[in-house]
Amino acid sequence: MKKPEKLIVDGKRLDGRTPDELRPLKIEAGILERADGSASVELGANKVLAAVYGPREMHPRHLQQPDTAVLRCRYNMAPFSVDERKRPGPDRRSVEISKVTREALEPVLFLELYPRSAIDVFIEVLQADAGTRTAGITAAAVALADAGVPMRDMISSVAVGKIDDTRVLDLTKDEDNWGTTDMPIAMMPRKKLITLLQMDGHFAKEEFGQALDLAFKGCEQIYGAQRQALRDKYAIKKGE
Amino acid sequence: MLHIQNRELVVPGQLIAEGGYRVHEGAFREGEQVYASVVGLADLRGQDIQIIPLQGRYIPKRGDVVIGVVVDSHYSGWILDMDSPYTGNLFVSDLLQRKVDLVREDINQYLSMGDVVVAKVKDVDERMRVQLEAGEPGMGRVEGGKLVKVSPTKVPRVIGRKGSMLNTLQDVGECRLRVGQNGRIMIWGRDPRMINAVVEALLMIEREAHTSGLTDRVHLMLEKIKSEGGE
Repeated sequence: MKKPEKLIVDGKRLDGRTPDELRPLKIEAGILERADGSASVELGANKVLAAVYGPREMHPRHLQQPDTAVLRCRYNMAPFSVDERKRPGPDRRSVEISKVTREALEPVLFLELYPRSAIDVFIEVLQADAGTRTAGITAAAVALADAGVPMRDMISSVAVGKIDDTRVLDLTKDEDNWGTTDMPIAMMPRKKLITLLQMDGHFAKEEFGQALDLAFKGCEQIYGAQRQALRDKYAIKKGE
Repeated sequence: MLHIQNRELVVPGQLIAEGGYRVHEGAFREGEQVYASVVGLADLRGQDIQIIPLQGRYIPKRGDVVIGVVVDSHYSGWILDMDSPYTGNLFVSDLLQRKVDLVREDINQYLSMGDVVVAKVKDVDERMRVQLEAGEPGMGRVEGGKLVKVSPTKVPRVIGRKGSMLNTLQDVGECRLRVGQNGRIMIWGRDPRMINAVVEALLMIEREAHTSGLTDRVHLMLEKIKSEGGE
């Protein structure tokens, strides 16, 4: 795709959204039979799976922590998730995202309840259209709750950015490519505590505040969808 | 002040109550507020708040009866898998309830790899190292029977209020059951057809654990299979 003249025309973005609108969101909990907990998130063209195993015995043994469980995360993109085939396996980018994902999720988990054990989170990106790390964190939080791991709060995650000098919520691939700024954020929606904040590009001081407000608004919607996904898993069974 | 109804489905981080309630498993306190920490059904009894989880692994607790499988042996005992993040340690003396002279006696005659053992959790320390004992009547190595696995969170439903579900399964199913808190269940019976019927019933309980009137439905199902007779 060639760089468009303008990314926002008459207050509407390339895909017809307003600047403060999320892409269509669909979250489902408990979709994988073999995992202890699982979830899928579809955010626009993004398709992400998350699977949680554990708490389970930690191997290798020397990585065990005597007083707490260890959270391990793997963010992985499928070779077919992007336009140009991605070479499979971990690369610099996915290793970094795995690390920040772990750090985004860790603060809400009661890891101290399960000493010497491990909790494994696997995030698989099946289709990518910018914002996969935030979609992955959103999915992982639902999968952790679905696995029955005790949590202080959920984690909801969304990206904000700047295109054509306007703050926008939830950037698409094209907006990310041609825009000025991309800032993924993860937070605990109940306490409004931020657990992940990265930024690629620039924001003026007041712009940053406005962007943050926008992200909080987006996370609020995502949080609602996450809670609904967890409820729906059991509501269907209730009607049987 | 309570913010939810009894038996309501809650999700992690959901506000349950404010004030001086006693908080049990599945919930936590933050100042005056009590929040849920797991997906589960709220169990509110007066001043006590508990969330019955719908999902999760078995975490050993002192006094629980579990069904373990021998996965390793050491100088003075065995390591048992309890289908949990933690393994259990069973000493020979805790199996035989007597002093054992390890130099004179070969302990491999009592248990071997793969044996199924009914045991009780004697102690769990802060590092979750589990001590088991199997001295009480009906405990120790299991002979014959069928081993079934259900989710450990569904075990209270398999037992039922004051053991009502368990009694139904045993009386109508003409089987003897031993339920481990870790979700493993041993079934002994004469008629293989009724054993299979009880297994079906257990799977049904696991699927429909959070619905009401389940004991009656299990009763009906078992009676139906029983009356059909063997062909």
